[in-house]
Amino acid sequence: MPQRVSHEDLMRFIDGELSPDEHARVESEVAASTELARELAIFKSLKSGFQDLSFQADTYHHSVWDAVNTNLTRPVGWILMIVGVAAWMAYGVYVFTRSPVDPWEKLAVGAVVIGMILLLASVIWERYRDWLTDPYRDVYR
Amino acid sequence: MQPDIERELIRKCKAGDSRFYEPLVRAYEPSGLRLAVAMLGNLEDARDALQEAFVKTFESLHRFDLRRPFGPWFFQILRNHCRDMLRSRQARFKLEVLDEKLELRPADAGASPERQRQRSAARELLWRALERIGEEHREVLVLKELQGFRYNEIAKILDIPEGTVASRLFHARRALKEALEEMGASFAQEY
Repeated sequence: MPQRVSHEDLMRFIDGELSPDEHARVESEVAASTELARELAIFKSLKSGFQDLSFQADTYHHSVWDAVNTNLTRPVGWILMIVGVAAWMAYGVYVFTRSPVDPWEKLAVGAVVIGMILLLASVIWERYRDWLTDPYRDVYR
Repeated sequence: MQPDIERELIRKCKAGDSRFYEPLVRAYEPSGLRLAVAMLGNLEDARDALQEAFVKTFESLHRFDLRRPFGPWFFQILRNHCRDMLRSRQARFKLEVLDEKLELRPADAGASPERQRQRSAARELLWRALERIGEEHREVLVLKELQGFRYNEIAKILDIPEGTVASRLFHARRALKEALEEMGASFAQEY
């Protein structure tokens, strides 16, 4: 005799996802078939096992909110800082170029500043290149 | 959390005010942590995943449809993030004895030492069996058994048709049964 209760129906029966009519139909099929009853008992046993596996994650006291909040507010801080630094630097350059000091002095100071920026950029680029090829970069701990 | 309060909080978050995100984080943190622990197998990776998923969710709120429930949408992001972590090898499913860090359900507190020992052994066996079955099987079981979602919610989270949920659950439960049997568990006396 072909089995009229599919595996999917059995899952819906165990999980209480069937309508009352369908539930009654599956129930009567289970009562009439030892094989189906055996299968159902195994699945029910597995399901009950999960009740012991459950844990109260909310009793783990440290909320992630602080870390989330830091991540959400940090970009705003960076943007404000970068805009502020850029504005001050632009103003500094403007004042420096307009100042009445000797052009040789301006040239020397400009060379020092540009040199420092180039050195800093090359160090950052080198570190970034190393990071890209670092085989351990995904290793946390 | 009541749906209308939740919707109001999300509306304010969409306007860019992250202060209103805190109640949402605190409301979904326990269940989110349960899902992440079950998917990743240990608390530290789970906390990292949860934290990053909350940040991603906030950044994607402009795409969120206020007529839909927030929970399944958030759990979908979290589940995808856990999968990404497992795939990019930032984390691998590694078993941790949860009892060391997480308190058991209150029902366990009154049980006799022998009963507690039996439960602990059964729990560890089940946990190890979960470790053995595939990621796809594990996640559908976790969503149903640990999170208690209905089939329609699971379908939304996993982005699959509702009809597929029952079929996936059947295969997952069968895989779990086989894993338990390989580990020496017997179902003979259960019925």
